[in-house]
Amino acid sequence: MAIETEPGTTQHPGGGQPAGGAARRPWWMRPAIHTGLIGAVIGYAFGHWLGNLIASGYQQVGTSDQNDTAIVLGYLFMVIGWLAGLGVFNDLFKQMAGRRLAEAENGNGPGGLAQYFRFHLDHKVVGIQYLVGMIIYFCTAGLLAMGIRTELLSPVHHVFSSATYIEIVGEHGTMMMMLMTSVILGPFGNYLIPIMIGSKRVAYPRLEALSFWLTPAAFMILLSALLLGGFHMGWTGYPTLSIQDTSGADAYAFAFGLMGISMTLAGFNILVTVICYRAPGMRWSRLPMFVWGILGTAVMMALAAPVLSGGMYMLLTDRTVQTAFFTDQLGGSTYLWEDVFWFFGHPEVYILALPGFGIVCELLPVFTRKPLFGYKVAAAGMIGVTLLSFFVWQHHLFDSGINPDMRPLYMLTTEMISIPTGFIFLVGMGTLWKAKIRFTVPMLFCFAFFFNFLIGGISGVFNSDAPADVTEHGSFFVMAHFHYTIMGGLIFAFMGGCYYWLPKMMGIKLNEKLGYWHFWLMFLGFNSTFMPLFAVGWLGQPRRVFEYALRLQTLNDWVSISSYVLGFSILLFVINFVWSTVVTRVRETGNPWESRGLEWQIPSPPPAYNFEHVPVVLSGPYEYGSEGSEPVADLNPPVGVLAAAFSGSETARAEA
Amino acid sequence: MAEMTSAGPAGLSRRQEEEAFYHEAALNATWTGTRLMIGILVSAIGCFIFAFFYLRSLNSHNDWYPAGFTGPKQWQGAVIMALIVVSALLQSAGLTQIKAGRRGAWLGAATVALVLGVVGGALQIWQLTVLPFQPGASGFASVFVGTQPVIIALVLGTMIWLEILLVRARGIPEISFVEQPPTFAEAADVQRFQASLSALTLFWNFVALTELVFWVLFYLIH
Repeated sequence: MAIETEPGTTQHPGGGQPAGGAARRPWWMRPAIHTGLIGAVIGYAFGHWLGNLIASGYQQVGTSDQNDTAIVLGYLFMVIGWLAGLGVFNDLFKQMAGRRLAEAENGNGPGGLAQYFRFHLDHKVVGIQYLVGMIIYFCTAGLLAMGIRTELLSPVHHVFSSATYIEIVGEHGTMMMMLMTSVILGPFGNYLIPIMIGSKRVAYPRLEALSFWLTPAAFMILLSALLLGGFHMGWTGYPTLSIQDTSGADAYAFAFGLMGISMTLAGFNILVTVICYRAPGMRWSRLPMFVWGILGTAVMMALAAPVLSGGMYMLLTDRTVQTAFFTDQLGGSTYLWEDVFWFFGHPEVYILALPGFGIVCELLPVFTRKPLFGYKVAAAGMIGVTLLSFFVWQHHLFDSGINPDMRPLYMLTTEMISIPTGFIFLVGMGTLWKAKIRFTVPMLFCFAFFFNFLIGGISGVFNSDAPADVTEHGSFFVMAHFHYTIMGGLIFAFMGGCYYWLPKMMGIKLNEKLGYWHFWLMFLGFNSTFMPLFAVGWLGQPRRVFEYALRLQTLNDWVSISSYVLGFSILLFVINFVWSTVVTRVRETGNPWESRGLEWQIPSPPPAYNFEHVPVVLSGPYEYGSEGSEPVADLNPPVGVLAAAFSGSETARAEA
Repeated sequence: MAEMTSAGPAGLSRRQEEEAFYHEAALNATWTGTRLMIGILVSAIGCFIFAFFYLRSLNSHNDWYPAGFTGPKQWQGAVIMALIVVSALLQSAGLTQIKAGRRGAWLGAATVALVLGVVGGALQIWQLTVLPFQPGASGFASVFVGTQPVIIALVLGTMIWLEILLVRARGIPEISFVEQPPTFAEAADVQRFQASLSALTLFWNFVALTELVFWVLFYLIH
């Protein structure tokens, strides 16, 4: 078994497990991934049959020989079957029938490896499920990127056809942009946030678990697009191409919409958990920066992702029941798509960036042994980024017919967002100033984050300028910019988080030597891949085209070879992950980084219910280097303190 | 709800204290979660309201609501909207009854509210099958056909929630709504039920308001 947690890690109180009594049945009868797969197959077959029954007589089905209704209903019932097979609806039906839910102690079922293949209500299990899932999704999308770079080795000799190439580009972009939104919030947010705020549970464990189990469905549906002819409009899905495209576009819209629901649920659960389940003493001014980062991300997810799902739903109705949301000739408008899509799409950039900032702000004080420089400034920066992220989306329309009078406004709002981002950046630099830095693997990833994000951020300010944007639009310059912010920021922070928190989550430390190799290869490979792409873009190479000017071949070859190094570095991480957690399994149960974080004050991996008693938080998490600073929390507070904390009585609080 | 549990926490054992702490947190989560979920749904529904006004103002090819276009029947929209709004009002009235300790009165009101809500949702489904226009006939037609299933899902989803509460209420002794139950577990059960019921009522009112807003958009403004 690769992953260890204490047995019986359940939600408490009020967190009954689904399908109570499941442990008494033979394993193949228990709701788990295999029953989910059976449900999915049955559901797809039924939905497809129903779609054919309903829509086979439709005029457009006859003329195009393509029944999108059958495909979409197939996906819909497949997801329902998948969730039903996993036992997601069991508790709902029980409640509808007036039966009480099994209490946490009764229905947890077996622990061990099997729990990771079930709809499980423990936030720690969900966190690990997310972690493994995200690594799989990331590697799949990364392999597609390798395919893209292989094709671009030569402008004249082709590995793929032009159609296949654009399908791969679309798959890669969509998979990264839709699934990697949860790459930090999913594993680290779900696992660590409750512990970091001193809680034994999350607010809505069922929704949290559901948010994860929707991601494999979205992943498989998106991959299935390749079997349906792919989709050719890239990850942004612009009509009219997305309406006219092959059935692969159904997979795109359905998967992306489904992921929107997953994001909404994940964000909703995190928000309520942080607001309502903080331990006594965990004031807003004591929240770890990682929690602030995830909180901002959750706000954006909760408010922007529903619009994405709405847009994808409109696209699906256009493709199936022939509404005309995005067809100008019938009273719709393609601009409607651009507005709806980018209202999600731009906050998404910060959905991807903020958790990374949260991680580096969390790690810097640990490895500099200094308090975080400007805690309130960093928190304000995160709030500022969250709010401003909803006011910039029109810059994506600079080149597609936006009223020219609106350009200055959105130039201004876009440039303004660099101010709160700069706050966080300066907090990082201030923390590093005159520090005795410990150059551990997680810390190196933090350095890389700042280096990469600086390049991504500055090129972003450049792009936000309308005249510059008009010049660079659609070129590799823009592509290099967003890879610097997203991969250079988010994924480097994710890797730093993995090395930092895996000893906490699994009780096992990743091999350090392999970690250094991984870091240097990834850092050099990444910069060697994407830095030249700025030049490639300036020299005029457009995105999404598989042929290019011969004079750009040397640069492209350099980039492609560098991308293989980058790919190898990720492979090295996977090897390290498997090697350390499955083969060598060097135990690390204490606090290897000497961190003041609340999560490090309990054993690794955390026991059932996280804390033996509800802790009382006494001081902030970053008071390093100051003599006589209070411990971060009292993990065994005297009886009466807790009651006083929520009684609302000032006298009782004072007495306690 | 806070005051209900804050009465005399002193003297509790550690386990009881923690149970009370998480019970309080759960009540707060119900309150916060409902309001947050309404915010999320405003965002989702706002997407369709935006589409309505955006396409209406663009009026591409004069095809937002072309001359001679026959919209959905006024009476159908009015009946559906009225059913949902009356259902929400009934539930609100029922809530005041149960807060006053009259469970029976709430059960009656909530059962009627449930029936009206389900009938309203069913009528909306039926209406989609008898529309006098094709989904892509105009911009208006697209927004109408696209929005209705979302509202139907909201209505029926809320009715499932109401049904669960109706069933759950039967398991709680009537006296518990009048007097403080003898044990903490029973008291917590009642408080959670009441918190959930308050949340449902707020949510159902929000859905009714949504229905009203779209009725104004589709039948009065279009």
